[in-house]
Amino acid sequence: MNKEQVKQIKRFENIIHLVDAIFLVIYVGLFIFLFSKITVPDLPPEVFTNFEYTIFGMDIDTFTLNTWMSYLAIFIIVTFPLTFINFKKTKFREFYEYSRYVSSNYFVNAIVSLLAFNPVSFVLKIIASRRILLQSEGYGFKEASKRIWAGFKNLFKKKVKVVEEEDSDLKKAIRRQTAFTFMRMFFSYLFLSIVALLIFVPFYWMILTALKTYYESNLTMTPRFFISLSEMQWMNFKYVLQEVDFSIYIKNTLYVGILSTVGTIITTVLAAFAFARLEFKGRETIFSVLLMTMMIPGELYILTNFLTVSQAGLGWVGGAEGTNSYFLAMIIPFMTSVFYIFFLRQTFKQIPETLYKAAKVDGSSDFKYLTRVMIPIAGPTIFTITILSVIGSWNAFIWPRLITSVGDVNEGRMYWLISVALRDADFTTAGTNPRVMFNMQIAASAIVTIPLIVVFLLLRKYIMSGVGRSGTKG
Amino acid sequence: MKNTLANWVWSVRNFFQGIKEKLHLNINLPTWVKALIYLSPALILLGVFTFYPIINAFRLVVYQGYQLVRDVDGVLRESITGYTLFGNFAQVLSADNFILPSSHTNSSILLNTLAIVFISVPISILLSLFVAATLNSIKPLKGFFQTIYFLPYITNTLAIGLVFAYMFKSGSTGIVNQFFMLFGVEPVSWIERGATYWRAMTVLIAFGVWDGMAFKIMVFMSGMQGIDQQYYQAAAIDATPKRRIFTKITVPMISPMIFYIVVTSVIGAFKTYSSVVAIFGDTATPDGANYNLKTIVFHIYDYIYSGEDLSLAAAASIILFAIILALTLVQMWVGKKRVHY
Repeated sequence: MNKEQVKQIKRFENIIHLVDAIFLVIYVGLFIFLFSKITVPDLPPEVFTNFEYTIFGMDIDTFTLNTWMSYLAIFIIVTFPLTFINFKKTKFREFYEYSRYVSSNYFVNAIVSLLAFNPVSFVLKIIASRRILLQSEGYGFKEASKRIWAGFKNLFKKKVKVVEEEDSDLKKAIRRQTAFTFMRMFFSYLFLSIVALLIFVPFYWMILTALKTYYESNLTMTPRFFISLSEMQWMNFKYVLQEVDFSIYIKNTLYVGILSTVGTIITTVLAAFAFARLEFKGRETIFSVLLMTMMIPGELYILTNFLTVSQAGLGWVGGAEGTNSYFLAMIIPFMTSVFYIFFLRQTFKQIPETLYKAAKVDGSSDFKYLTRVMIPIAGPTIFTITILSVIGSWNAFIWPRLITSVGDVNEGRMYWLISVALRDADFTTAGTNPRVMFNMQIAASAIVTIPLIVVFLLLRKYIMSGVGRSGTKG
Repeated sequence: MKNTLANWVWSVRNFFQGIKEKLHLNINLPTWVKALIYLSPALILLGVFTFYPIINAFRLVVYQGYQLVRDVDGVLRESITGYTLFGNFAQVLSADNFILPSSHTNSSILLNTLAIVFISVPISILLSLFVAATLNSIKPLKGFFQTIYFLPYITNTLAIGLVFAYMFKSGSTGIVNQFFMLFGVEPVSWIERGATYWRAMTVLIAFGVWDGMAFKIMVFMSGMQGIDQQYYQAAAIDATPKRRIFTKITVPMISPMIFYIVVTSVIGAFKTYSSVVAIFGDTATPDGANYNLKTIVFHIYDYIYSGEDLSLAAAASIILFAIILALTLVQMWVGKKRVHY
């Protein structure tokens, strides 16, 4: 393939990704639209009610709506990673990498698109597949299918055995060894699969339970391991967001997470720069004192920090209704981190000193050097810190719970973060004999967990590189 | 629009530049002043929320009965009943159920913590070691398995704790009981009314192992990838069995990682708190049980939440700090002396 053809193919591929992305947006939009149409029963749903809906002029019941939403969810789950992966592949694929494998990849992709109800992408991908095949191998689908068929037949053809009498002992030994290796591989994969299954079961059970009815999650004696698409109660998520106020808690968490992350980045970048580049007396001493604080357990701080932010100190929490600023108390103490300063300093130190000297000769100030040279070079590390910090805020539990539990409790609960809400929010049924609705509680857990998993799968590289150096959770 | 904005920024910049030149501010600041400017945001925050709390904890611990009391004029004041040097430590250590079970509660905080340390930590380390070694020996699907194994690390403890509590539900509703029923075992109560101590502890340990494996597998994997292939090639020439390769090459070569993991997981086990709250709630007790599953950190938060005698909270957190300090020192000492290849 020559350069011009590759250019054309890449343009064509990008059009495909655009179409995929548009369809993804349509799926998500439709999903949200249907989600907004769901009726939440007035009373906690002890008894399942079948509602009538009119959507796009059609009269449907709850089961049909559930089925539609389930299909849309599946389409989203399939399309999103495919689009993402394909886009990345196109971006980094060199001209010599175009071959029949890329073509077959698009062919399979096309079939998946068709199954995901996306005929436009299907047609485009088939065309892309054919073009790549023609231009890289020089033959079309007809020839390709002939070759595949031939290869398929070859696979089952009886191989002519060449019997050699001599060295039969060696042959036997080799065969035994091969069998042994095979067995070991088999048991390796078996072991790994069992462990992976054990890791995965809680996630599966969480998602399944989140979609079950109250009756099925609480009362039935024989829980099912699969449920049909029409039985998936998407209403549970709406109930949790609306009636248990999780939309407020998610908003709080994002607010706290973003602000404390921005603060953390600013303070740590400045401090790490000073520790990495500026020569001043006592630099190593201050730095080692900071490092020493890393092994002090957080429980030692919490007591005094609690006093500091409460009425005895800054007065951010614990006062009368309306005088509290819970967000300040949640954000300010977490606007810096010794570990991130350490982490960034290591990265900054790896940047050659000569660059700094050169910048000095050119008469640029330290701050300009920091923003124009060091931050761009250390970009991946800063990005890692950002993700880890946001994840940390998303999972914060002890401190937010402590400070929202003092003073006016009713005001405090408007400032709960999601972890606190998971533990303390009211998931019980109404009435004289309240019982926890496990499907709702687990649905809330799923709402908290799924965004984290999506973020992790998208940014795995950054997260794992950051975690590899940290060692502590959260 | 964009142009005017740029112009505006530029003119503001020029304005400040002019002031700077007029006032002869262009002289270079001494490095320590610059360093102070760069460090000040972080140092101020650390000073208020890290260094001061450490000092304050040691201040509180010499008071007796430290409490915040509201005055007649509505101002909070510190109120103490006296001074003591070790009284608070003695009171924490001799509190009911701290070291030994008492007559009314059939468990103790220290024994709970030690049970977690001595059961959950070895299981998860051994399992992670095997998983890492197996994972390192395969090629296809390696990335897939690695991703799956890492999932528990980024999850929210509370969320998965609630899922675990639901999975271990009593009767035949829980998936764990369903699993055991396949083998003809009668369904039992794990965390609800009627659960025995060790059943409840099993749930906690299972959660600890599940939650803790991700990080350990990752550290072991990176350790094993750093081992020089020469050793394995030499072993292959000698036709060394796999088991011996594992015990004689892999484990000794990654012994620094193993040791690091042992210490951090022991520290982590001492700090178990969120998972207990997630699975058992604030009482840390299954309904109607005469034991609880409180850990040392749980005990500290009990003191803080009660707010009656914060000196005791300070004393308990200093005890925890001492334990962790001792473990860290052991790690550093042994790391220098014993761990070698």
